[in-house]
Amino acid sequence: MMDEPIIRYEKIDFLGEGQFATVYKARDVKTDKIVAVKKIKIGSRLEAQDGINRTALREIKLLQELQHINLIGLLDVFGQKSNVSLVFDFMDTDLEIIVKDNNIVLTPANVKAYMIMTLKGLEYLHQNWILHRDLKPNNLLINREGILKIGDFGLAKAFGSPTRINTHQVVTRWYRSPELLFGARQYGTGVDMWAIGCILAELLLRVPFLPGETDLDQLSRIFQVFGTPTEEIWPGMKNLTDYVQFKQFPPQQLRHIFSAASDDLIQLLESLLAIYPPKRCDCTQALQMPYFSNKPAPSVGAKLPMPSNITKLETEKPSLKRKLLENIDGGSLAKRLQF
Amino acid sequence: MMPNRMGTLPIAAENPLGLSWHDSAWIPLLNPSNIMDYFSERSNPFFDRTCNNEVVKMQRLSMDQLQNMTGLEYILLHVQDPILYVIRKQHRHGPNQATPLADYYIIAGIVYQAPDLASVLNSRLLSAVHHLQCSFEETMSYSRYHPSKGYWWDFKATKPGLSPFNVSQSAPKETTSTPKEEPSTLFQRQRVDMLLAELVRQFPLPVTQTASNQTNGVTVKTENTNDKHADKPSDGNNVGNITIKQEPVDPTNSENMSNGNIQGHIEVKTEIKQENMKPPPEKKPRV
Repeated sequence: MMDEPIIRYEKIDFLGEGQFATVYKARDVKTDKIVAVKKIKIGSRLEAQDGINRTALREIKLLQELQHINLIGLLDVFGQKSNVSLVFDFMDTDLEIIVKDNNIVLTPANVKAYMIMTLKGLEYLHQNWILHRDLKPNNLLINREGILKIGDFGLAKAFGSPTRINTHQVVTRWYRSPELLFGARQYGTGVDMWAIGCILAELLLRVPFLPGETDLDQLSRIFQVFGTPTEEIWPGMKNLTDYVQFKQFPPQQLRHIFSAASDDLIQLLESLLAIYPPKRCDCTQALQMPYFSNKPAPSVGAKLPMPSNITKLETEKPSLKRKLLENIDGGSLAKRLQF
Repeated sequence: MMPNRMGTLPIAAENPLGLSWHDSAWIPLLNPSNIMDYFSERSNPFFDRTCNNEVVKMQRLSMDQLQNMTGLEYILLHVQDPILYVIRKQHRHGPNQATPLADYYIIAGIVYQAPDLASVLNSRLLSAVHHLQCSFEETMSYSRYHPSKGYWWDFKATKPGLSPFNVSQSAPKETTSTPKEEPSTLFQRQRVDMLLAELVRQFPLPVTQTASNQTNGVTVKTENTNDKHADKPSDGNNVGNITIKQEPVDPTNSENMSNGNIQGHIEVKTEIKQENMKPPPEKKPRV
């Protein structure tokens, strides 16, 4: 049993290396599927005091119980010598690569498709009392079928326990919500929603919306756009541990920043990026906003753009698929006609 | 492609052909390279900000991408450098296919929507008909009618510009009063008299009564003169004075009046003294 996995996954390619892990592209010999194998680094003694790296432990613990089309699927976990490896769905690209690819135009329909998939995945997560806490374009993975899956659960954590104190040092700074920046220790889904708002803004602008250089600069940038909150807008703000008084900035019109955005999209942005956390919408509320039912309809998966190096590979397979689908359609149509 | 433009619709909903837009700060700086930026100003009611141009601009991409997109876009169609630019709004279906939706022209920095042919024809026809109708109404106000004289034009009466002449003011009064004073024309009376005479001749009355009848006729005439006195104490008071009074009137009015008037007067005077029927004839010749 222990030996089998070693044979089971054939390394194809080196994909990348992070702080805690190295990721390989591999073929599952058993199912002949392409997968991603994340080999967790042993790490320091401190990190490994639970017996295993904490981020890996989180991922294993949570993902085992989560099944959703828009969440990365944990297929297998195996140990080899002193290492632990996690086997995930293989994803061709991620949103960061797409946003940075200047050959791609993100049409309003594309943006809507990405938002729906992200929010659906996150809604499932929140319904299971889990905060992702590290949402950013880089962690929204996309495969060649155009399906977006939320990945990297290294910072994910259960929430909702009133006594539990969380760390505020979560979420990549540019996507970090103002309450986290003010040092809040008790927070909820709002931190993820704020990050979604920043990602949506980035999809529209194609550059990070609030690229703060320090935590203070981050807050300053937020207030320059949304206006410095007052005690009336945000009751209790001054009691947060890291609260600092900021210069009074007047709020700006989001319509002017996102000049091509339709009004219903602006409405969604304003709701996601509400300064006062309780006013921020949750995933369910967001998905019910008019933006998602209005035209244009979201792009279907196959029509979503792919970086140029992937489209080449993609053209072969989908064409076959399409032919198959067309045949199926044609067949059923013929039957109907005969009838 | 385009999501709901609820925000911009109300402006476009009112007829865009009646709109123009400009930003005076831009006007001196306009040139072919910035004209599209000018047109895409947020306040320009002709610009739909959900168009592909704005999507590409917002995403900081190259405008060359427009060719590969589908949906609404604006292109610079024609440039006549300093003064005229034509911008087309079109729906792009593919790199080589686009359906024009509207043209906009910018003359001296002011943006208008070029109207479609139907609107031009409609508008021209409407204004032509309108002016025709106005002229008819104006003309109608100058026409006069009297059962005994038929139709005639009266241009003086309605012209307020001629007010300095008191005569002209008095003239309409006369026209209104004349029908009362003038139950019949000379011709009609002669005619009736003739018929009555004929009847009397055919059916002679008893001798005693005829005399009284004749006197009645005379009294009627005198009554007529009396009526006149009552109506117009100033003008036609004294039958004998009539000529004297009318003479001063004539020169004040105009030279044209003279002939017809005088003749009319003369006839009246000579034949029946009570006949102060001069006012209506006076007006005719004024034309």
